[in-house]
Amino acid sequence: MNQNLPKPLADALTDEERATYEWQMWSPGFGEEGQRRLKNSTVLISRCGGLGSVVAYELAAAGVGHLVIAHGGVVKHSDLNRQLLMTHAWLGKPRIETIERRLKDLNPRLKITPIGENISDDNAAELVGLADVVVDAAPMFQERFAMNDQAVAQGKPMVECAMYDLEATITTLAPGGGPCLRCLVPEVPPAWKRRFPVFGAVSGTVGCMGAMEAVKLLSGLGEPLFGRMIRLNLREMRVRTVKTYADPACGMCGRHNPA
Amino acid sequence: MSAPVSVTVPAALRPQVEGQETVSAPGATVGEVLCGLREQYPAFGEKLFPNGGEQINRSINIYVNEEDIRFLDNFGTPVTDKDQVDIILAIAGG
Repeated sequence: MNQNLPKPLADALTDEERATYEWQMWSPGFGEEGQRRLKNSTVLISRCGGLGSVVAYELAAAGVGHLVIAHGGVVKHSDLNRQLLMTHAWLGKPRIETIERRLKDLNPRLKITPIGENISDDNAAELVGLADVVVDAAPMFQERFAMNDQAVAQGKPMVECAMYDLEATITTLAPGGGPCLRCLVPEVPPAWKRRFPVFGAVSGTVGCMGAMEAVKLLSGLGEPLFGRMIRLNLREMRVRTVKTYADPACGMCGRHNPA
Repeated sequence: MSAPVSVTVPAALRPQVEGQETVSAPGATVGEVLCGLREQYPAFGEKLFPNGGEQINRSINIYVNEEDIRFLDNFGTPVTDKDQVDIILAIAGG
């Protein structure tokens, strides 16, 4: 686990922040200390589509101090069934602009580092380096591996969210011991396609869970999904949990965390 | 003959098993159960073992009662009709 987490306390909350966050500060084990840790925290989210929009919105609402958000392209009609930070009025305009605008509408105190391109091997080292926690919500495995490899190299935890149709999976990858993404998915799945069936309520469900994982990591609250993966089946409404392990033969985390 | 063992199928592979959430086949090991399913549902078998080979699709992990068979006895992992076998296919965001 990253020795820098949970985050140190930020300066005392303002009266406005106390009033805004009092409902969550009533949660046992969180309190004003937890809120001050969130205020002092940075989360990288890429991309900010169906999953990432909800993660970002929930973290902005929760009072995380700084979001680094990477998402390229312009808003399209096909975004609007699930990408809740995109709006009809912003069709054809850069997604990152509406993401920033809508998050600031919710929380004007939030610092945002907007990146108008998707994460890649070219920018992952710098962007992961800014973050305390990485939330992987990207549709392409090349992007997911770029974040994973830097999270492993830099010792950052990564919340791994995914979906297809009415199913979703979520796990949290701890640096320095647990599995990394490549332990679970050794190579880019050749049959995976960027466009696939999904409902916004599915991405929203797992997005909220991903945001909760980030809050827990940053504040020290509760028990993150280390070594466990939840598989949600919203078609038949079943939830399964399986255990995950580091693969000793993994070419990524095995190299950085030799036994 | 062993009693059928239930196997849950991920959404992306359900078209290959007539849309079913769960399929079953007899077998005393994970490998035997998967062989049975491969015979019942050849298109599903092709997704599990591409090109008619013996190597599992690397995008797929198989769990018995929450445990990844790679960390048990892989396809030799024993199963009974009391066990739950889950197939999880790598998926992403969007």
